Amino acid sequence: MTRPSLYPYATILPVMLVVAVFTVYPLLHSVYLSVHENVLTRPLDNDFVGLQNFREVVGGYYFWRSLWSTAVFAVMAVAAVTLYGLGVALLLNQPGVLGSTLLKVVVLLPWAIPSVISGIIWRWIFDGDYGVLNGLLLATGVVERYVPWMSQPFTARLCMVIAHVWKQGPLAAVFLLAALQIIPAELYDAVRMDGAGRWNAFRFVTVPYLKATLALVLIYETIVAVATFDLVYVMTGGGPADATAIIGWYAYTEIFRFLNLGRGAALAIILGLLLLGLVMIYLRLLRSEEAA
Amino acid sequence: MKRRRLESAALSAGCVVVALFILAPFAWMLVCSVAGEAELTRRPPVFAPSPTLANYAFIFTGQMPQDKTRHGIFVWQTSHEVRMLMPALRNSFIVALSVMAANVVFGALAAYSFARVAFSGRRSAYVFILTSRLLPAVAVAIPFYAIVQRLELLDTYRALILVYLAFTFPFTVYFLSVYFRYLPAEVEEAALLDGCTRFSTLLRVVVPCAAPGLMAAAAFAFMTAYNEFLFALLLTQTIAAQTMPVLLAAVATNPAVSHALLAACVILAIIPPALLAVVLRRYLTSGLIASVAR
Repeated sequence: MTRPSLYPYATILPVMLVVAVFTVYPLLHSVYLSVHENVLTRPLDNDFVGLQNFREVVGGYYFWRSLWSTAVFAVMAVAAVTLYGLGVALLLNQPGVLGSTLLKVVVLLPWAIPSVISGIIWRWIFDGDYGVLNGLLLATGVVERYVPWMSQPFTARLCMVIAHVWKQGPLAAVFLLAALQIIPAELYDAVRMDGAGRWNAFRFVTVPYLKATLALVLIYETIVAVATFDLVYVMTGGGPADATAIIGWYAYTEIFRFLNLGRGAALAIILGLLLLGLVMIYLRLLRSEEAA
Repeated sequence: MKRRRLESAALSAGCVVVALFILAPFAWMLVCSVAGEAELTRRPPVFAPSPTLANYAFIFTGQMPQDKTRHGIFVWQTSHEVRMLMPALRNSFIVALSVMAANVVFGALAAYSFARVAFSGRRSAYVFILTSRLLPAVAVAIPFYAIVQRLELLDTYRALILVYLAFTFPFTVYFLSVYFRYLPAEVEEAALLDGCTRFSTLLRVVVPCAAPGLMAAAAFAFMTAYNEFLFALLLTQTIAAQTMPVLLAAVATNPAVSHALLAACVILAIIPPALLAVVLRRYLTSGLIASVAR
């Protein structure tokens, strides 16, 4: 045991290598691109332009529009996912309730399938010409003619939120269920002895215990919502009228449709910093929860 | 007591409603996949069409369903893409299984060293691997493309496998090292005293004990690779490497899409992850919880 063994270094080498190549280089490359002119349709102009790309992004009309769409989508999606997740977690946490086992078996299904497919499924359900939602509403007499759900900004956003909740809700539910299960049962017994009903037990025992996990779920879901891409790609293509062109989609179109790599990289860095800020808050919450 | 029973009935009803919300979209896809196009393009659609396997038959054999032939060229074009589902699924499986195998082997090796072996630089290497995941995918899309292009790996399995390894390794290492730390250390120490090397201890003592954790890690890696879309879209161009999500996105965004055929594709494509989700749900649930809570 005199010389340090090579074993640990050999074992972490493959992982380190792959991760390093796909972290360090992309970071440097992105920064380099963002301060140079780099439009694929003009390959020879490749000057250093300083912060001009950033200025162009931040000064652009579509950037603020997409930030607004992102904010609207994120607020709706995060609120809906969290409430839905909490509801499902509370239902799953009732042992002996009929139907709870069924729910337990199927709850992970939407989370497990590709988000592209969940987008395809919901787009077809909400289809304005032949969608089954319109079919059901017409057959039951709720509407008189088919409604083009995906062609109006507000309803298109709503459709995306519903698809998003269906896909992301299970994960939130599982996290919250885990938090529910570590609440000591004696606490519920104690408040019941005091004559509290279910609602008061929920308010005075469950909610305080869940606070930390709820905060984590909120931040985590915000990160997921802001970075949403697959759903936009298959459901709306950013439309109608950019209502669903959230920032991940906007960055993609800037890079791969308009082929402006410099501006795309600047936008990607801004988006990266935005998400990094959210991650930092998340980690701080995690740590303060551990300390508590 | 009456109030109690009423409450539990309400809760049961809640469970059933949520289960319906989860299952109904799948059920409708299943119905569409055995319907004829004409039954789906009525207003309202036929909710219980007379079942036919023609859509599936077309995907596997290329035999055109009866009701497609009169629609003309546009439907035929879409249908042609649908015929690529099996090759695309094959690509998806090759990529996802490779990513899964590499995650289990290299992930477990690294995770065990991080969990149990003291070496200098351990802490910083661990932190480096974990923080690498803070980079959002869309932010590194261009450089990833540049790397893959420079390695001359565009439109190959290897490119996708490499990129997915970079995405999945951090989680696998983190997840497994947490898992390994929870195993009792005494057995491993006894094996080491008996003259086993670290490697054979890992292989003979740790791996059998950690089988559930390894299974969950494998399933996560498989699903991540199987479900990924953005990089599969960027890094592949032809059916030589295009994975299932890329193909289905192309079919679905085609304005002349045949929904009956698309539904059959969706049903075939979700079988693998859906099976994993139901069969391994206990391992997956505990794995998911560990991933945020610790």
